[in-house]
Amino acid sequence: MRQTILRGLEQVYGNLVRMIAEFLPRFLVMLVIIVIGLVVALALKYILRALLGLTKLDRVSDDAGASRVLRMAHLPPMTELLSRSIFWVTWIGFILVGLSVLGVAGLQEQISRLFQFLPEVFVAILILFLGAVIANFLSRTALLAAVNAGHPSAKILSWSIRFVIWILAISMTLEELGVARQTVISAFSIIFGASMLGLAIAFGLGGQDLARKCLERYLGDTKKKEDKEPQPL
Amino acid sequence: MAEDVLLSDDLLSQLMSVGEVDLLVGMSSHSAANTVRQALDAIEASFQRNFVRQRVVIVNVGGGDKDEDGVVAQGPGNLAEKVRLPGITSLRTSHRVTANVSSPSSPGIALRTILAAADLLRARACAVVSPAASNLTPDSVANLLRPIYREKFDFVAPLYSRNKYQGLLARNLLYPMSRALFGCGIRELFSDEWGFSGRLAALCLNQDVWHEEAIQARPEAWMGISAISSDFRCCQAFLGEKSQATKGLGTDIVEVLRQTVGTLFWCLEARQSWWLDCERSQPVPTFGPAHELTSDPTDLDRPRIFDMFRSGVTELEPILSSILDPETHSEIKSIVSLEEGKFRFKSDLWVRTLYDFAASYHHAVINRDHLVQALAPLYRGMTYSFLVEHSDSSTAEMEAASEMLCGEFELQKPYLMERWKAKVEVKS
Repeated sequence: MRQTILRGLEQVYGNLVRMIAEFLPRFLVMLVIIVIGLVVALALKYILRALLGLTKLDRVSDDAGASRVLRMAHLPPMTELLSRSIFWVTWIGFILVGLSVLGVAGLQEQISRLFQFLPEVFVAILILFLGAVIANFLSRTALLAAVNAGHPSAKILSWSIRFVIWILAISMTLEELGVARQTVISAFSIIFGASMLGLAIAFGLGGQDLARKCLERYLGDTKKKEDKEPQPL
Repeated sequence: MAEDVLLSDDLLSQLMSVGEVDLLVGMSSHSAANTVRQALDAIEASFQRNFVRQRVVIVNVGGGDKDEDGVVAQGPGNLAEKVRLPGITSLRTSHRVTANVSSPSSPGIALRTILAAADLLRARACAVVSPAASNLTPDSVANLLRPIYREKFDFVAPLYSRNKYQGLLARNLLYPMSRALFGCGIRELFSDEWGFSGRLAALCLNQDVWHEEAIQARPEAWMGISAISSDFRCCQAFLGEKSQATKGLGTDIVEVLRQTVGTLFWCLEARQSWWLDCERSQPVPTFGPAHELTSDPTDLDRPRIFDMFRSGVTELEPILSSILDPETHSEIKSIVSLEEGKFRFKSDLWVRTLYDFAASYHHAVINRDHLVQALAPLYRGMTYSFLVEHSDSSTAEMEAASEMLCGEFELQKPYLMERWKAKVEVKS
C-alpha cells in the first residue's frame, strides 16, 4: 500500500518534472521571442516615424482633413498613429508566435484564425480612413462652391455629401469585416434609397420655388446676374 | 536647353529663317480667332510707326486652329511670311511665326514658348499682348516695348484708365499687398499685356517652375515678381482704357481669386527668402499718367454683394476658424451683424485677414485651393464696404485711400512675418 502510494507520487513527480523540463525551454523561447519582438517593434516604430516625418504625412493629413477626424476621435496625429500601430501589430504578432511555441492545445487554432482575420481588419481601417478623408474633402468642396455661388442651403448640401460618403464607407467597412453582410447591404440600400427619395420629394414638392430658381440659374441667362458685381481686375 | 523640348521642328525652322531680332511681340490666339487680325494689324502698325529700323517678329502661339493660323501665317505651312502694310515704309522686314502647341493650352505654356523663341532669336525687347483685348492699339504696343528697348528697363507693367468701381481686387488686395511685401509699387502685376527684356526672358526660361499650377494660370505676375526680386529694373507704362474682354473671366470672383491670389500666395512661398528681408517699398518709374479713373454709371447689386458676404462668413465659419487668427475671426463675425448702412470693413481688419490667409496658405492648414476660395465672401464684404465708402469720392480721395491701405499693409508686415515663421498649429 505504502509502496503503491510512493510509486504513484514518484510517477506524478516524474511527470511534473518532465512537464516542467519540457515547458520551461518553450516558455523561455516564448519570452525570448517576445523580447525580440519588442525590440523589432520599437525599431520599426522609430524608423517609420522618421520616414513619415520626412514625407510630411501630417501636413498631407491636415490638408485632407484627416487630422480633424482623428482629433475628434481623440486619436494622435497620423504619423504617431501609424507608427504606434506598426509597433503594436508587430509586437502582438511576435507575442502570438511566442504563445504558439508553448504548444497549448486549441490556442494554435485560435491564433491562426486571428492571423487570417488581421488583413481584413487592416483593409477595414483603411476604408474607414479613406472614407473620412474623402467625405471631409468633398463636403468642404461642395460647401465652398455652394456658398460662393450664393445657394441658400449650402450647409445642407455639404452635410448630405458627408453623410452619404460616411454611410458608404461604414457599409463597406462592415462588409469587409463580414459583420452581418446581408443586414448591412439591406440597411445601406434602405438608408441610401430613403435619403434620396426623401430629398427628391422634399425638393420637388416642398421646394418648388427653389427648384425653379435653381433651374433658372443653371439653364437661364446668367450673364445679367454676373454683371451685378464689379470687375475684380 | 529648354528650347530642345519646347520648340517643335516646324517652329524651330521658322525661327531659324528669321535670324536675330531686336523686338518680339508674342500673343496667344487660343479662342481669339475673331480678333487676331485686328491685333496683328495693331502690332504691325506699331512696328512700322515706332521701330522703323529694328528687326521685329510676331510670335503667335496657337492651338493649330486653321482659321487662326491662316490669319497669322497667311496660309498653312508658310514659314515666317514677310508682311508689309501698304502705304507705310519700313526699313526692316517684319516676320510672323506661328507656334502650334497641343491643346489644352494655358497662358503658362504660351509664355514659355514665347520666352524660348525670344531666347533663341536673342530679342532685346519683348512684349506679350492679348488678341482678345479690344483696346490693343499701335501706341499701346509701343508703350510696352519702348521703355525696354530705349530706356533699358527689364519689366514693363501696364497701367490703365478704368471705372472707379472696377479693378477692386487689384486696388484693395493685389497691388497693396505685393507692394508691401515685395517692395515694388507695380499696380497691375496681373494683366494680359506686359513687356520684358531678353535677359529677364532668359532668367525666367531657366527656372524650374513651369509645371506649377500658379505659373500655368498667371505667369505674368510671377515674371514681374522674379524681376523685382532679382533686382531687374521695373517700370509702368500707361496703355489707355482697360479692356474687360480679356480672358473671359468676367466677374467669376472665385476663379479670379484662384488665379490671382493663389498665384500671389504661391509667389510669397517661392520667394520667401527675399520678401522676408525686404524692408521698404520703392516707387516705380511710370511712363504716362499714373492713374486715371472714370465715373461712368455702373449697375451693381450692392445688397446681393452684402448678403453673399454675410451668408458666406456664417456658413464658412468652421473653415474660417481654421484659417484666421481667433481675434481676427471674432472681429469679422462682429461686423457681420451690422446693418448695411453701418457696415464698414476697416482697412486694418482687411489687412490682418489677408495676412492670416497668406500665413495659413504657407502652413497649409487646409487644402490650399479651398483656402483661396474661402476668401471670396470676405472679398465681397470689402467690395461692399468700398462701394459704400467711395460712392461720392473723387479720384484724389480714392488715391489717398489707396495710399493709406498700402501704408496699412506695410505697417502690419511684421504681423505676417510673425505668423509666417510661427510653428504650424492646426486648429480642430
